[in-house]
Amino acid sequence: MSIFSFVKPYRIPIAAALSLMLVELAVELIQPLLIAKIIDEGIVAKDLDTVIKWGGVMLGISLLAFVSGIANSFLAAHAGQSFGFDIRERLFSKVQSFSFTNFSHFSSSSLITRITNDVTQLQNTFFMSLRIALRAPLLVIGGIVMAMLVHVKLAMPFVIIIPPLLIFLIWIMTKAAGLFKSVQRRLDRVNGVMRENLVGMRLIKAFARGDYEGTRFEKSNDQLKNRTVFALRVTESTIPVLLLFMNLSVIVVLWFGKIDVQSGRVSVGEVVAIVNYAARITAAFSMFSWIIMVFSRSRASAERVMEVLNEGIDLEDTAGSQDGYEISAGEIEFDKVSFQFPNTNIPILDDLSFKISKGETVAVLGATGAGKTAMFQLIPRLYDVTSGEIRIDGRNIQELKLRSLREAIGYVPQESLLFTGSIKENLAWGKQNATEEELIEAAKDAQIHETIEKLPNQYDTLLGQKGVNLSGGQKQRLSIARALIKKPKILLLDDSTSALDLKTEAKLLLAIRNYDCTTVIITQKVSTAKDADKILLLEDGSLIGFGEHEHLLKSSSLYQEIYSSQFGEVKADW
Amino acid sequence: MVKIQKERHAGNQKSTIKGSGRTIRRIWSYLADERNLLILVLLMIVASSALGLLGPFLIGWGIDKYFATGSTDGFSLLLIGLAAVYVMHSLSLWFQSYWMIGIAQKTVYIMRRQLFSKFHQLSIDFFNKRQHGELMSRITNDIENVSTTLNSSVIQVFSSVLTLVGTLAVMIWLSPMLTLVTMIIVPLMFLGMKWITSRTGKLYKEQQGRLGEMNGYIEEIISGQKIIKSFSQEPQVIEEFRIKNQRLKESGYWAQTLTGFIPKLMNMLNNLSFTIVATVGGFFALKGYVTIGTIVIFSEYSRQFTRPLNDLSNQFNTLLSAVAGADRVFDIIDTEEEAVDEKGAVPLPNMIGKVEFKDVSFSYEKGGDTVSNLNFSAQPGETIALVGPTGAGKSTIINLISRFYEPEQGLILFDGHDSKKITRDSLRKQMGFVLQDSFLFQGSIRENIRYGRLDATDEEVVKAAKAANAHFFIHRLPKGYDTELSQDDAGISQGQRQLLSIARAILADPAILIMDEATSSIDTITELKIQEALQHLLKGRTSFIIAHRLNTIKNADQIIVIESGKIVEKGSHEELLAKKGFYHELYTSQLEKNILLKP
Repeated sequence: MSIFSFVKPYRIPIAAALSLMLVELAVELIQPLLIAKIIDEGIVAKDLDTVIKWGGVMLGISLLAFVSGIANSFLAAHAGQSFGFDIRERLFSKVQSFSFTNFSHFSSSSLITRITNDVTQLQNTFFMSLRIALRAPLLVIGGIVMAMLVHVKLAMPFVIIIPPLLIFLIWIMTKAAGLFKSVQRRLDRVNGVMRENLVGMRLIKAFARGDYEGTRFEKSNDQLKNRTVFALRVTESTIPVLLLFMNLSVIVVLWFGKIDVQSGRVSVGEVVAIVNYAARITAAFSMFSWIIMVFSRSRASAERVMEVLNEGIDLEDTAGSQDGYEISAGEIEFDKVSFQFPNTNIPILDDLSFKISKGETVAVLGATGAGKTAMFQLIPRLYDVTSGEIRIDGRNIQELKLRSLREAIGYVPQESLLFTGSIKENLAWGKQNATEEELIEAAKDAQIHETIEKLPNQYDTLLGQKGVNLSGGQKQRLSIARALIKKPKILLLDDSTSALDLKTEAKLLLAIRNYDCTTVIITQKVSTAKDADKILLLEDGSLIGFGEHEHLLKSSSLYQEIYSSQFGEVKADW
Repeated sequence: MVKIQKERHAGNQKSTIKGSGRTIRRIWSYLADERNLLILVLLMIVASSALGLLGPFLIGWGIDKYFATGSTDGFSLLLIGLAAVYVMHSLSLWFQSYWMIGIAQKTVYIMRRQLFSKFHQLSIDFFNKRQHGELMSRITNDIENVSTTLNSSVIQVFSSVLTLVGTLAVMIWLSPMLTLVTMIIVPLMFLGMKWITSRTGKLYKEQQGRLGEMNGYIEEIISGQKIIKSFSQEPQVIEEFRIKNQRLKESGYWAQTLTGFIPKLMNMLNNLSFTIVATVGGFFALKGYVTIGTIVIFSEYSRQFTRPLNDLSNQFNTLLSAVAGADRVFDIIDTEEEAVDEKGAVPLPNMIGKVEFKDVSFSYEKGGDTVSNLNFSAQPGETIALVGPTGAGKSTIINLISRFYEPEQGLILFDGHDSKKITRDSLRKQMGFVLQDSFLFQGSIRENIRYGRLDATDEEVVKAAKAANAHFFIHRLPKGYDTELSQDDAGISQGQRQLLSIARAILADPAILIMDEATSSIDTITELKIQEALQHLLKGRTSFIIAHRLNTIKNADQIIVIESGKIVEKGSHEELLAKKGFYHELYTSQLEKNILLKP
């Protein structure tokens, strides 16, 4: 696929816009004739009627050009904007189908630049092409043809000089495309530092590291500047070079012209005419080099856009995955599951096998970095297993449609990701058509209803990005409510009650018990874990214990250790 | 850096020609900083214009002299002279663009830098109310617009104006009367331009605004991918994007279409002017006011006169969108710095570590009360634990101590100094933070820990990591301390991130240590180990700790219990237990579970 496939749907408006442009061009070419007529037949002959007559004709055709120009504006803007619209949409949809491996190939800031900045670049170029770009080549070709019609031999210097100049232009264009690509890469970097600073502003302020960050930004800003300056200087050098060669060829024409005029083979008028055409070709050429700069920039942008569009998606519905199958029970089974993050060689999970029955509540405990979160992310297929198989209701999850798999799972990640919008909108992520009652019910179960009621606009209170205006605990409870409203068959809580006080947490967990779902909770607290039906102990990615609280307290030394870290010494005979 | 007068109302300013004029003047003030180079560019433009005219003139003269007569005396000299003119012409062109690119890029460089450092002077509140992506858009999309325009337009505008003035002078010299006639179109032109720009100016600002909005949306959606995927929200998100995309397209469509009118209109008026000159001129010639030769020359010049105007109008498209872009950049630069240090604030001397709250009240939204009448004091070296239900106001107290927000009423004293009379940076440099969201930068683990104290040696970094119990897992990573952390969290867990944040704070070696839920994602065994290290570390410094697991704060010197923004109890663990109040209730609720466990 190439960027040109986006042009295709607009063939008709493009053709129309170009024809209108040709009308304008034609009028422009006729005008000098009319002007000559007005001067020669009207003014010089002192014939005012002729002046008015031809003046009227001229106004008439310029009105025609005006109307064509206006129509061209509409068509070109329509085609250009739609072209940009289509590319942005395709890019965004593509990014939405990205797996996290795909995401690791592009930084967020680079993706953002590509969807906005690069597309704008392409869109502007496309718009420009429809309006003026075609003029330059037409004028150059027209100029050469006319010059050759006047006198083939005298026009020879142009015929000889123009092909190498064209080759030079193409060479510069290729070179410039590379340069502009590196400019865009540096823009990505500036964007990246910027984004980090915006996201981490609190920490930067807390550590009073404004100056340090300033230096860091300065560096990438400086590189961007230097690169841009270099790229622009290279491309803009083409104009003087082209002008020089064209002008020198004029000198050659004059030289031979002089000889030929003396020998009578050429008239003075012919020399004047050819010199005149040379001036026109030169003017068109300098337009050319501007066009080339714009095109090389766009070529760089086009490549960056296509990189995203041509990225192979490595996690999607597998061929032959059954449609319409819905998870009904919520039984989870890990069968010899091993996992490492894409592009790394650190094993995170190692040969994990266990089975959680329908409706059970299982607590997952383990040290920091034991692989608890990674294990969770495998269930809704945010990542795929490296080896082994995960089965839900006895079916390999890779055989299910991603959509039906994920719809059955209520996943509450460790960091509560909320979005700009009202509380209501955020909750409705779980269920688009949720009724007011359903919202309130979920909020009540998540122990957040009362807090929401106290807010000035209750459920219509607007949240900032990532829910910045809420406390940690409030965010956690909202994201739990968002998962509950789905009425999931499998509920995954990744340490999502850590910022809650114990009372609230206990009430929340009790409320969840009433849901008809299999619940898996990652927690650090034994007090939470002991209420679960079973406890799963992870250490360094391996399963080292799976059973009830009492059982583990007797059999597992790690569990004893965790227990004593929270409640003091456990007696040895337990 | 340029001094810019503050224009507070810039945010709501209407994008009229007047408003654009102000923005253009302001961009100009940046350029003026490079006055010397700019003068050189100007000289080069004058030179290239003159040389550009000299070439054809020499040819014309040469044709008259040599071709018409057949004389060859000095013909080769003429050609050499011509070659010299052409070489100089190219050189002057080359130099003007060479220098102009430098000036333009330096200008946008400064604008970027100003925007960036402005962001650092704005309050946390400012960022809470805005999307990161939308702000980012101003540094990329908007400044990019300014950059493109400065490169191409300035030279164009200069040379157009130069030609305009020159032609006008010749025209007036030839015939003031006919000049006047030619000028008839000028008011028409202005009317037309005004009609168009009064619309496009607004549209361009709107377009840039929508682009920014879209940027913000993309940023938020990309960073929230985990939720979007697990909730299968892709179709909805794509639909929402479609709406934003559509809105961008609409304003872009009208902006582009309308500015497309400008050159067409100019062309039209051009021809009108020519016809008028020819008719009126013809009439004058009949009456004998002017000679025919004058009209012929004049008709040529009137075209010359409108050509630069045409060029200028062609530049309008880019110019307008650049003005819109610059406007949005200036909007931010003009935003009031809420976090600026008060007048006469002095750096805080090295702290002993006493912190006092006197009748402090504060709310995030005017009129409400998030915390009220807080009174407490932390003696140097004390460990203060803040305890209370979710949303009681614990994090708010931390925000006040770190001066992310200022109290509405009351005083906060550091070593007896009123917080308002000391600079923020000097205060924060003596504080160490482990915040709820453990933010890590793109870079190696070593760099991330070193963020706590930039001049720390590698050994000190390792020592801090050991104290935070982070060394153990770092050591096992294939690249150890040089492991690069990317923005997405793959490979390193939330708990490990907290360990790194703790190491960072330990390295900072602050007089005041603030830990807001610093160990919430860390397993309890590791937490115990860290606590041992911390016990050691906390000695000699004042620390504020928020934790939900009450057993982690049992040893605190003072426990402050907060409920609904008010301090309800204060004292040591034992004292509070003896009181049998709110703390007792909280503590036993945890203990109950423990008791239940017993067979």
